[in-house]
Amino acid sequence: MIPDRQTPAPQARQQLAVVAGLRWRVFVNSLRTFRGRLELASRIFVSLAFLAGGIGGAIGLGGAAWFLILQGNEEWLGALLWPVFLFWQLFPLMATAFTQNVESSNLLRFPLSYRSYFLIRLAYGSLDPATAVASLWLLGIDIGIGVARPSVLPWATIVLLTFALVNIVLARMLFAWLERWLAQRRTREILGILFFLFILSFQLIGPLIAVYEHRSIPETRILGQKVSNAQRPLPPGLAAAAIAGIIQGQPGTSVVPFVLLVSYGIAFLWLLNFRLRAEYCGESFSESAGRKAPPSGLPAPRPGWNLPGVPGPVVAVFEKELRYLSRSGPMLFTLIVPLFMLAVFRSSDKNEGLLARVPELTFPLGAAYSLLLLTNLSYNNFGADGSGTQFFFASPARFRQIVMGKNLAHAAVFALEAGLVWLGTCLLYRLPSLGVTMATLAGILFVLPIDLAAGNLFSIYSPTRVEAGVFGRQRASLTTVLASFGIRGTLFVAGALMLWLSRTYENSWVELLILWLPAAFAFAVYAFALDRVDGIALGHRENLISNLGRRE
Amino acid sequence: MDSPTICTENLTRRFGDLVAVEDVNLRVAPGQFFGFLGPNGAGKSTTIKMLTGLLAPTSGRIQILGLDLVTNMVEVKRQIGVVPEGMALFGRLTGSEYLNFVGRMYGLDRETAAKRTAELLAFMQLTDQPKALVTDYSHGMQKKLALAAAVIHGPKVLFLDEPFEGVDAIAAGTLKAMLQRMIGRGATVFLTSHVLEIVERLCTHVGIIHRGRLVAQGSVEELRAGVEARAADLPMAAGGRAGEKLTLEQIFLLTVGGSRSDGQELSWLG
Repeated sequence: MIPDRQTPAPQARQQLAVVAGLRWRVFVNSLRTFRGRLELASRIFVSLAFLAGGIGGAIGLGGAAWFLILQGNEEWLGALLWPVFLFWQLFPLMATAFTQNVESSNLLRFPLSYRSYFLIRLAYGSLDPATAVASLWLLGIDIGIGVARPSVLPWATIVLLTFALVNIVLARMLFAWLERWLAQRRTREILGILFFLFILSFQLIGPLIAVYEHRSIPETRILGQKVSNAQRPLPPGLAAAAIAGIIQGQPGTSVVPFVLLVSYGIAFLWLLNFRLRAEYCGESFSESAGRKAPPSGLPAPRPGWNLPGVPGPVVAVFEKELRYLSRSGPMLFTLIVPLFMLAVFRSSDKNEGLLARVPELTFPLGAAYSLLLLTNLSYNNFGADGSGTQFFFASPARFRQIVMGKNLAHAAVFALEAGLVWLGTCLLYRLPSLGVTMATLAGILFVLPIDLAAGNLFSIYSPTRVEAGVFGRQRASLTTVLASFGIRGTLFVAGALMLWLSRTYENSWVELLILWLPAAFAFAVYAFALDRVDGIALGHRENLISNLGRRE
Repeated sequence: MDSPTICTENLTRRFGDLVAVEDVNLRVAPGQFFGFLGPNGAGKSTTIKMLTGLLAPTSGRIQILGLDLVTNMVEVKRQIGVVPEGMALFGRLTGSEYLNFVGRMYGLDRETAAKRTAELLAFMQLTDQPKALVTDYSHGMQKKLALAAAVIHGPKVLFLDEPFEGVDAIAAGTLKAMLQRMIGRGATVFLTSHVLEIVERLCTHVGIIHRGRLVAQGSVEELRAGVEARAADLPMAAGGRAGEKLTLEQIFLLTVGGSRSDGQELSWLG
C-alpha cells in the first residue's frame, strides 16, 4: 500500500501564479529561435500600434463625451459605447480566428479546483489587446464625463466599470462556447462559414447606405429612431441610459438600466459558468470514429478516377486534390466569393460604377479576381497535406507528376470559377462579346501557367501547414503572399498591355498573334519550371517534411 | 549470407554540429525480420528516413535490393513500402479513397487498386465506417491503414517506424499477422520499435544503434552469445537470474550501457 504522503491541496492563488510563470517561461523559451525573436519584434510593433490606438481613441472618445454632455446630448452616449462594445467582442474573434484552444484541457490534468479553473480561464483569457484598448477608451469616456460634469464622475465610473466587467465576462463566455463548437470538425466548419458570411455582410453596408442616402430626411430620422429604440435594452444602451439619467438629474431613471446591466453580467456569468463546469467535469468531443455495427452488404470500393491519356499518379493526385477541396468549407466558400462580389458591385453600381459604364470589363476583372482567390491553394500546394507530404517522397511517383496533378486540379477549379463568373456576368450585366471572351481566355492562358509555375516553386521553398477545414490563420507565409501579388500584378499589367496592343491593330491576324503568342510562351515557361521541379523538391525535402509535418 | 537486401556503407548524417548517425554499416539479408533498436534519440528514425529516401545522407552509401538508392531512387521506391514516423496519411480522404490513391501512386491500374483496397480494408478490419475520414479514425485504425497503404503494391522490403506505438493488443495482433504473412512470402521487414517483447517475438535479426553508431547486429542468438561471452555474471547485472537465458531487453540494456536504477530511491514515493 502506498503510504499517505500526499502533498497539501494546492491553493488557487498558487495555481494562478504557476500558470503565470508557465506563460512567462513559454515566452522566454520562444526567444531562443530567430523566428521567436522576430515574433517579439512584431509584437512590440503591434503593441505600440495598439497603445497609439488606445490613447488616440481615449482622447477622441473622451472629447466626444465631454462635447455631448456640454451640448446636453447625453442620451447619445450610447453612440460612443457601442463602438467600444463591438470592438471588445468582435476584435478578439477576428484576431484569434478559428483555431482550437488546447490550453484548458491541458490544465484539467492537474488537481485544479473548479474555482481555480474558473479564475484562470477568466483572468488569463482577459489579458488581450482588446481588453486593454477598450479599457483605455472607457477611461477616456469617463474622464470626458468627469471634466464636463465632475459631480457625475463617481456614478459614471461605477457604471463604466460594470460595463467593462460585463464585456469581459461576455467575451469569455462567447469564447468558451465557440471553443465548444470548434472542438468538432463539422461544427467548426459550419461556424467558419457563418463567420465569413458575417464578414462578407460588411460589403453590404455600402449598398445599404446608397439605398438610404436617397431617402428623405424624415424617413432616415424614423429609421434612426428605430435603431435607437432597438439598442436601448442592450448593454451599451443601458450603460448610456444609466449615466444620462444622473446627468439629467433623475437618479430614479438610472437605477433600472443599471440593474439591467448588472443582470446581463450575471446572465453571462451563469452561461460561462455552465460551459466551464461542463469542461471541468470532463466532457469529451472526441472525433475518433467509434465502433459501430458493420453495415450489411458493404459495397466494394469504387475504382479511382480515370482521365484518358493522363498518367495514373497524376490522376490520383488530381482526384485527391478535388476530394480535399470538396471537403473543405473554406475552399468551397472561396468559389462563391467572386459571384457574391459581382452581385454586390451590381447592386451598388446601378448606372454609375465602372462595371456599369464598361460592362465589357466585368468578365476579365472577375476572372482576375478569381485567380487571386487561388493564392492559398496554388502558392502553398502542400499546405493541406501536412505529414502526408512524406508520402510523396516515399512513393515512386516523380515529383513533377505530383505537382502536375495538383496544378491540374487547381486549373480545373479556376476554370469552374471563371465559368461561373462568365455566367454571372451574363445574368447580372450582359453577355460578354466573343472578342472579350477570347481575349480573356488568351489572358488566362498567359497568366495561369506562369502563375502555377511560380506557385509550385513558392510551395516548395516556403511551405506552411494549413488545416483544410479551418478558417483563419490559414494563410501562406507573408513572403509568399507578397510575392504572389507582385507576380500577378506584373502578369496582369502585361496581359492588359497585350489587350491594348491587340485592340490598336485592326488586323485580326496580328490581334490573334499578340494574344496567343504570349500564351504559348507561358506554357514553355511552365514546362521549363516543371522540368526542374524534381531536383528542387529533392533538395528541399527536409524543409518540406519538417515544416508541414509539424503541428504549431 | 545472400546478397543483402539492405546494405549501408559508412552511412552518416549530421545536423549542423550534431552527428545523428555515424558510419553505420547495416546488412539485412533477404527474408529477414530485422528489428532496429536504440534508446530515444539514438538515430533510429534518422536512419530509416535515409533508407527510404526521405532524408539525404551527409555521406556514405545505401543499397536496397542491390540498387544504389541515390541513383535508382524511383526504382527502389517502387519495390519498398514505408510506414514513416507520423504515418504520412491524408486525413481528409476516406480509408478506401486513401488506399486507392496510394495504389495508383505506386502504378497499380484502377481495377487492381480497387480490388486490393477492398481486400486490405477487410483484412485490417477497417470496413465498419466506410464514409469516415482518416482524420476521424482512432490512432490504432490509422496505424492499420498506414500499414495497409505500405503493402498495397506488394513491396519486397517493408520499412516500419514504430508500427506498434499506441496500438492496442487487437490491432497489434492484426499487424503482426500481416507482417508474418509477408515474411512467409519472402519479403524483408525492417522495423524500429521500443516494445522489445514484440521485437523479440517477431524479429529474427536485430541491430542496435546507440548515440548514432551501430553497436551490435546479428541474430538474437548471436547477440546473446556475444553479450554472454563478455562476462559470466552478466545476467545478474542486467537484472536476471544466473543460468537463465538473457532476454532481448537484457541484451539491449547491457549493450547500450543502460541499467535499472534499483539502488536509487525517490524519497517521497516510499
